[in-house]
Amino acid sequence: MKQKNTLPVVFLSPAIAILAVLALVPTVYAVIISFQNRELSRPDGSFIGLANYISLFSDRRFINAIGVSLTWEAVTVGMTLIIAIGLGILLFECASPRMRSAVCFLFLIPVILPRVSAAFVWKFAFHPLYGIITYPYKAITGQPLDLLSNPLTALGTVALVDVWQWGLFFAVIVLKLLETLPPQPFEAARLDHAKTWEIYAYVAIPMLKAPLISLAFVKMIESLRAFDLIYVMTRGGPGIATETLDMYAFSQGFIESGRISYASSMAVLMMVATSLAFTFLWKRVKS
Amino acid sequence: MATIVCSHVDKAYGAVNVIKDFNLDVADQEFIVFLGPSGCGKSTLLRMIAGLEDISGGDVIIGGKTVNDLPPRDRGVAMVFQNYALYPHMTIYDNIAFGLKRMKISSPEIDTRIRAVSSTLGLDPYLDRKPNALSGGQQQRVAIARAMIKTPRVFLFDEPLSNLDAKLRNHMRVEIARLHQKLKTTTVYVTHDQLEAMTLADRIVLMKDGGIEQVGTPAEIYERPRTLFVAGFIGTPNMNFIDAMVKANGDGWLLCVEGASFAVSGRRFSLSDGQKIVLGIRPADLEAAAAGSTEINCVTGKADLVEFHGNDALVTFLFADKEIGALVKAGGCPKPGDDVRFVVNEGRMHLFDRQTGLTLLA
Repeated sequence: MKQKNTLPVVFLSPAIAILAVLALVPTVYAVIISFQNRELSRPDGSFIGLANYISLFSDRRFINAIGVSLTWEAVTVGMTLIIAIGLGILLFECASPRMRSAVCFLFLIPVILPRVSAAFVWKFAFHPLYGIITYPYKAITGQPLDLLSNPLTALGTVALVDVWQWGLFFAVIVLKLLETLPPQPFEAARLDHAKTWEIYAYVAIPMLKAPLISLAFVKMIESLRAFDLIYVMTRGGPGIATETLDMYAFSQGFIESGRISYASSMAVLMMVATSLAFTFLWKRVKS
Repeated sequence: MATIVCSHVDKAYGAVNVIKDFNLDVADQEFIVFLGPSGCGKSTLLRMIAGLEDISGGDVIIGGKTVNDLPPRDRGVAMVFQNYALYPHMTIYDNIAFGLKRMKISSPEIDTRIRAVSSTLGLDPYLDRKPNALSGGQQQRVAIARAMIKTPRVFLFDEPLSNLDAKLRNHMRVEIARLHQKLKTTTVYVTHDQLEAMTLADRIVLMKDGGIEQVGTPAEIYERPRTLFVAGFIGTPNMNFIDAMVKANGDGWLLCVEGASFAVSGRRFSLSDGQKIVLGIRPADLEAAAAGSTEINCVTGKADLVEFHGNDALVTFLFADKEIGALVKAGGCPKPGDDVRFVVNEGRMHLFDRQTGLTLLA
């Protein structure tokens, strides 16, 4: 009896220990140093209480980063879902089963690609002089088109790559979800004077509400981790036009001034805010 | 209100022809039942009338207008599905209102119409619920309400009662019959249950392998089955079949079976000497012979199994190497092992050609 109780513990403890070291220790450490004034250039530091947090709110770059992060979140999640649902329905409506499998395979390739590789490929494709995407514009107007250096288009261009990776993948999921639905309500709707778009808007999509919400949550969490994509494509620029919170924290902590405590306070704030936001959203959706 | 005409309708899936040259005229206000074993093409045919399946050949004409290329919504038909096909995320009210909203009818009018329909079908207490909070019978009533409210020209029912338990099925059958009496909408009803077909239909279309075996009123089909298949399909318990050979016998004929023969006048039939036939007798048409009677044309045997049906009992025995069933009054029926003797009345005989399976009725 005793053996039965100890065996799981024996197996679990190494994994939990590693997890604790890898995840918990840095988190706790970040919280601790966020109350200090440590910098990478100096070995010492002292406790300064909430000073870091207070100065964050008078930091215009931080406020800008919040705005960029929220925009990024809204644009990538929204566009991904719109593209996924649109393409999923298009495939379901128009493609033969054979064609569907072929297209699904193609749609899975972008998400399998490592994000950094995808970012480099697309960065080159958007290159003002040699890029394949900007080439037609250059050929027609004679002017180079630099989307990634324009503050108005930079964030949208990076978002395009994110949506390319995840929207196509989610389109495959939406297609498979549609295939699992029973056909009779669709047929009933066709007899009920519903046009094709009305069948999807009023019958199919509402029937898929729960899985679609889950997909949205997955994408929201995924979008929070877009650091690599932005880092490779714009490094937060031009200026601070694509500087999300994690980009800003990174540059405060490691690139510009080495203000590791200041960066940590940002990270802690983000952790608290996202935990609260997701808890709230989850509860709302569930009820 | 509308007539339906199917003229040379074909349906093929690739090389497989599931409906072959189907012709049928349905009169206005008629209640037609497509009856047949599963896989005979009856549901496919109904779905072709509804527009949910393409028509491979021929024409479907509803109310004088060819509808082959019209989408389902423009055909003026409403359909009730076997598994109800309600919209699971909508309330019952929204389920019923869905079609009217798509037709851009004003919401006060939708409301009045829903109240009227829901009180007819007794759905008032459930309007705010979701379909999964309702029992099967209630869900099917919602499906009927959803079909009714559009005031269609044609009602299509695709095995609407198959998913219900026996008691509810009887109840709903009566409700559908009442509804048709009241609305008089032309109705096509698909079922594999002969009881539903017999009780509801003005005319039954009995189908087999994508073709029509017989079209007729329930009485016609029961009394004068056109083929062996129809005779075997209609009527519970099933008709008894005995292989026989025809021999001329003076003025009349002798139907020779193994170890016995039946003398008949044969006036109702067109028979020829030496013809191989199948003699069909319904279990209810076998009359117990009085003890010591000198009746000829009797089937005899040793009762093997006695099934109690309530008022009646079904006595099974072996005659001419065939299992024969006879329906007798339950009171004083024979016990297993008893010798039984039943009179076959010529007027109740059904004779079929063994080769073609067609009736020999003149």
